[in-house]
Amino acid sequence: VAPEPTNTVEEPLDLIRLSLDERIYVKMRNDRELRGRLHAYDQHLNMILGDVEETVTTVEIDEETYEELYKSTKRNIPMLFVRGDGVVLVAPPLRVG
Amino acid sequence: MAVANLLLRTIAENSMVVLLQGLQGEVTTVDLRNESTARGRVVNVDAFMNVRLEDVLYRDRRGKLTRLQDLFITGRNVRYVHIPDHMDIMKTIQSQLAKIHRVRNFASHGGGRKEYSKKK
Repeated sequence: VAPEPTNTVEEPLDLIRLSLDERIYVKMRNDRELRGRLHAYDQHLNMILGDVEETVTTVEIDEETYEELYKSTKRNIPMLFVRGDGVVLVAPPLRVG
Repeated sequence: MAVANLLLRTIAENSMVVLLQGLQGEVTTVDLRNESTARGRVVNVDAFMNVRLEDVLYRDRRGKLTRLQDLFITGRNVRYVHIPDHMDIMKTIQSQLAKIHRVRNFASHGGGRKEYSKKK
């Protein structure tokens, strides 16, 4: 839980360490995405995120036109513990445009 | 039996589960993998993130509410745990780790097995 005080990047998890206290983007399983401030994490990628916005994306298919209609539902949670086995990737927040 | 507890404590202290263990007595919402949610008082969380809740309001994926007196959730089925606003995360983690270290040092008092001692 308490990382050794080192500033060198030695393994992939160290890249996440660089994002501590920064806002990050997390892609999760089941078409979910999180955007929030990373407060803590561990080797399982269990994370504590603050000021989180969760986006759940669903696809509906129009039965007549077979059009794919993408819908997303958002919600905000002040402080969230995320279990690591749902995490697919961690990145800096995506910039639009 | 003592060795099993030592193992569980070591697993817990090396991950963020210790924060969830510090939630004992708090009312929180657990979002499950199956899209349902359970809101209740945390009775216990173990090293594998298995959670026991009491006085639970369980909402299934369709939104149907059920009151449950006692609910056990397997760690694998946890997606999120909502942390109460008033909680100080760092303090909770530190006090949980202090509890683990106190027990470990107590066990090695009087010249017990030194290889598990964390004193550097």
